[in-house]
Amino acid sequence: MKVILVDDEKKFINMLAKRLALRGIQADAVFSGEDAIKKVSNKAYDVAVLDIKMPGISGIQLKKKLSILDPGLKYIFVTGHGTVSKSDEDLIQKDFYLSKPLDIEILIKRMNEIGKLGL
Amino acid sequence: MNDTINFINIEGLKFFGKVNASISHELKNILAIISETSGLLNDLTDLAKQGKDLKLSMFENCSASIAEDIQRGFTTIKQMNRFAHSVDIPIKEINLFETLELTINLSGFLSFASKVQINNSDQETKSILTCPFLLQNLIYQILIFTYESVGPDGDIHIRIDSKNNDGAHLIFSSPAQLTLKGFPTQKIQKTVDVLGVELNINESPHELDIWIPYVSNKIIVLAKELQNDSYTGNDKQD
Repeated sequence: MKVILVDDEKKFINMLAKRLALRGIQADAVFSGEDAIKKVSNKAYDVAVLDIKMPGISGIQLKKKLSILDPGLKYIFVTGHGTVSKSDEDLIQKDFYLSKPLDIEILIKRMNEIGKLGL
Repeated sequence: MNDTINFINIEGLKFFGKVNASISHELKNILAIISETSGLLNDLTDLAKQGKDLKLSMFENCSASIAEDIQRGFTTIKQMNRFAHSVDIPIKEINLFETLELTINLSGFLSFASKVQINNSDQETKSILTCPFLLQNLIYQILIFTYESVGPDGDIHIRIDSKNNDGAHLIFSSPAQLTLKGFPTQKIQKTVDVLGVELNINESPHELDIWIPYVSNKIIVLAKELQNDSYTGNDKQD
């Protein structure tokens, strides 16, 4: 499974990428929506894990842009807030979202579920 | 309760909520990093138990990272505490540099914050008699406006000029010219009026200038109104 992780919290996303690598999941970490667009333009991924709140392009805006580049890409949203706002919830209702701090086993379970369901 | 006190209370509560929400977001991010790092430390420990030959530096890097983020958490909480105490005394003398520095740090928790530099400022300005919480609110609102103007990759420069004997200038500028369409908002203008400060947009160089008198008549009037208001008496500090 090829995963792209997008979050402006560089240390958080680097640590997560290392932990996923130890579990055999190849994950590229990028720190902005702009960098994610460049990556997805050049490489195929199965799952994108996106922080909802980022400077510049938000996670939800980023999904719209990435979906044009790769219609088959699946999404998991991550939020630092306890809950997502109603408007965000409407936009990501077909996707999974997880709150920080993440439970890596749940994250991997969700990644596998997305693969099987072909959402 | 008169209109001015009503404005201070309602807008103050909104400001307090907004800052607290951004601080809680920051703390959650810090805890998320600590959680991932300690998770990685556990993963490495498990591998070592299984006989995998791992470099000691991998463990050291994890523990150094945790220590660094705990320090980031302490710094955040210290700022939260200073902010919380800014409502203790409604009108008091403040150091403008310290108030500016705290407000910049608080606004830095916003996801769309730009980079801010304080340039060539007089750190030891004469004390300013003001409503500290409302002045923070004004600086915060202006910072948000300038962040939205230059974007997250932009730079905001701020300087304090206290050469004048009657007050200090707080001057905002940016190498990428500030776009001040719609400025000041109604709320910013009302805050300016209540504080008795002046807002000017300098054309060349393009700057936003807040003139803050060391003592304004409006603050003296406000202090009397607050003293007479049964809901805003001074509490003892904890």
